[in-house]
Amino acid sequence: MRILAVLILFSCLFLLINTAFADEMSELKEQVKTLTQAVQGLKSTVESQQKEINSLKETSSQSAALPDKTVPSTVVAPASPLASTPPAGAATQEQIKEVNAKVNKVIEAQKKSLPGEFNPAIGVVGETLFSYRTRGSAATGSDRPGGFDIFQRSVELNVAASVDPFATGYAVINASADPITGEANLEVEEAAAQTTSLPWNLTLKGGRFFGEFGRLAYIHDHELPVVNRPLVLDRYIGGESQTDGAQVSWLLPIEHYVNFTAGLGDKFGDPQNNPGVFRGGKELNYFGRLSTYFDLTPDWQVETGVSGLIDPRTVDRGGALVQPDGSTLSEKERRLAGMDFSLRYVPLRDNQFRSFTWGNEVLFSGNRYLSDPDAIPDSGDEFSKSVNSTGLYSYLAYKIDREWTTGLLFDFLENEQNMRDRTYAYSAYLTYAISHWNQLRLQYTHTDHNAISGLRDDDAVYLQWTWIIGSHSHGWQQR
Amino acid sequence: MKKHPLRLLFLVVITGLAFVVQPAYAAKIKVVTTLTDLADLVRNIGGDKVEVHSLATGVEDTHGVPMKPSFVPLMNRADLIVLVGFDCEHAFLPALLEASRNPRIQKGQPGYVDCSEGIAPVDVPRSTDHSEGDVHPYGNPHYMLDPVLAETAIHNIYNALVTFSPQDQATFTSNRDAYLAKLDAKISEWKAEAAPLKGVKFISYHEEWNYFAERFGMVYFGTVELKPGIDPTPRHIEELITSMKAEHVSIVVREPQFPEKVPAFISEQTGAKLVTLPIMPGGVAHTDTYIEMMDYIVTTMVRATGK
Repeated sequence: MRILAVLILFSCLFLLINTAFADEMSELKEQVKTLTQAVQGLKSTVESQQKEINSLKETSSQSAALPDKTVPSTVVAPASPLASTPPAGAATQEQIKEVNAKVNKVIEAQKKSLPGEFNPAIGVVGETLFSYRTRGSAATGSDRPGGFDIFQRSVELNVAASVDPFATGYAVINASADPITGEANLEVEEAAAQTTSLPWNLTLKGGRFFGEFGRLAYIHDHELPVVNRPLVLDRYIGGESQTDGAQVSWLLPIEHYVNFTAGLGDKFGDPQNNPGVFRGGKELNYFGRLSTYFDLTPDWQVETGVSGLIDPRTVDRGGALVQPDGSTLSEKERRLAGMDFSLRYVPLRDNQFRSFTWGNEVLFSGNRYLSDPDAIPDSGDEFSKSVNSTGLYSYLAYKIDREWTTGLLFDFLENEQNMRDRTYAYSAYLTYAISHWNQLRLQYTHTDHNAISGLRDDDAVYLQWTWIIGSHSHGWQQR
Repeated sequence: MKKHPLRLLFLVVITGLAFVVQPAYAAKIKVVTTLTDLADLVRNIGGDKVEVHSLATGVEDTHGVPMKPSFVPLMNRADLIVLVGFDCEHAFLPALLEASRNPRIQKGQPGYVDCSEGIAPVDVPRSTDHSEGDVHPYGNPHYMLDPVLAETAIHNIYNALVTFSPQDQATFTSNRDAYLAKLDAKISEWKAEAAPLKGVKFISYHEEWNYFAERFGMVYFGTVELKPGIDPTPRHIEELITSMKAEHVSIVVREPQFPEKVPAFISEQTGAKLVTLPIMPGGVAHTDTYIEMMDYIVTTMVRATGK
């Protein structure tokens, strides 16, 4: 019975499909008929145009020599009652002059692009920080001195171009000043290739790049909405989420925006993993992010995501971490989870002049360490311990007009090596964008450390000057 | 319990067939346009063969459409992306194209429809140095405000649709011809109506009216912006007011995406008439189509002359 039922069902389906194809066949026949008619119509048009061309050729051979006969075939003179199209053969010197002027403009535009056609887009970003801090580095834990300080944080060379029809490539080379010595320190911050034509909505990125984690970890310093990277990203990730590795990103094939990214790398942020003598898969960093977005109204938007990072067996990353009580910790496992949430008001009509952003990110660190109370290796008192800690930041940015933006930033951090060591920071800032490529930012920050940290509260005022020359475009990540 | 695998198999087969058979009933051509004027043109040429989405709604700055992630799935499924070109969309389109993961609509592919092809640009800058502001290296991109040049865009869209779907050429041809006939008739009307605009001097907030001025014989005197994308300094406003008075500039155009304060001040100081004009359909009320928008612009400009 079942076999019979299957047969009947398949017969019905076969009939249905057959009918569909029959309909299609008749539709196709109709289309072929229409196409044949269209081709015949085109043929007669071409013939009449050929006649017209021949008559024009005759006329032009009779007329006086033209001042410039080079007219690119790309320039189409649009037909219209307003277009000054003279009747065939009646072209005056004035009109020829006008056409030549237009052609020269096109050539002018082409001249600009042709020499650079094989060169990558090149841009340089400079960022200088002028600051005053009420306490020295010993009291603040900062790698910058107290008092007056001028710091050339970055001189960044950006280069980008297509590699071939299947990939693009880019490099970011930074010659920032070393925080301690002040010497220029040349570093390849990013150098990666990214595919452009993989199937199934996939892109693959490989090389050195800022891996996707949260919202601000993969943004360069000068593109941050505030002067300094939020404390939690500095401590838990180690600044920018730089990795030497590969990352695959998948846009879900649905009508709603959902993006999933997963990657692996030799490192993730700072400090680097110690190289070791032999490393298996457990010594690598694995990271991922799932993000989505909602249009609340045409002007209000929400973007949110979750991120994760695990390095199952770190090889003493950062070496022996000396604690305030003299003991040391050696990191053995690194785990990090994050949630981010941004609410934005971007009015369609005048978003160049007004906007509002509330950005938040909370990170949970769960590292495992080998603790050595007497700081003497293999003395027998070592024990393993896990430290769970939390950190977050929340900022507001309000664009008052095209030039001025103001905002607030709140930082909270539990030390990932000792969760009872807590820091709070409060900042207020004012940004003046003289133009798209020239920006000043004034920021005041008050930092509150608790007693366990061994550090002292301090106040700082920063003036950040950022400038850009050459090519500069905002990629998808920097939106 | 034993029946379940068989039912499941039926379901899988039927669902699978539904997916296979569905494309036979030819889905519409999915077109995404950057701006609303292009969307209107595509609708007129493509008719019921196309499904059109515009990234802009009409009220935005043509150079500053917000990059919303909700655009990404639309662009991911698009068969064609139709754009103004001349780097008009440089601030948002390259990043959206990258995020779309759609190889069919990337630059250089048939699905990337640059409507500026065949248009001779005006104001091609001699230098693209940023000291000249946010200049467009290939020339001014606001050619859609000249209805004659819009016809070149129409031809480009038509060619792209025919290349993508040759079987629908007859429909596209008849739609295009009907629309061109309508547009040509309107161009004649606008030409007659705009006769009083000949020689009339005007300024605008952003440098958007070069092609319009050239077509209708107006004199484009200057801009409120110091340079493209750079807001005016007090000195620039002062100089602009002095020279406008000396040269009898009679109209101040404000595009709706720019603040009214400075243009209103200049208008008050010089006695020039302040008008708000859309730069794409939907920019102000009753300008839902390209023709309605051009109607509005020409009529408002003529009224502003008081002639």
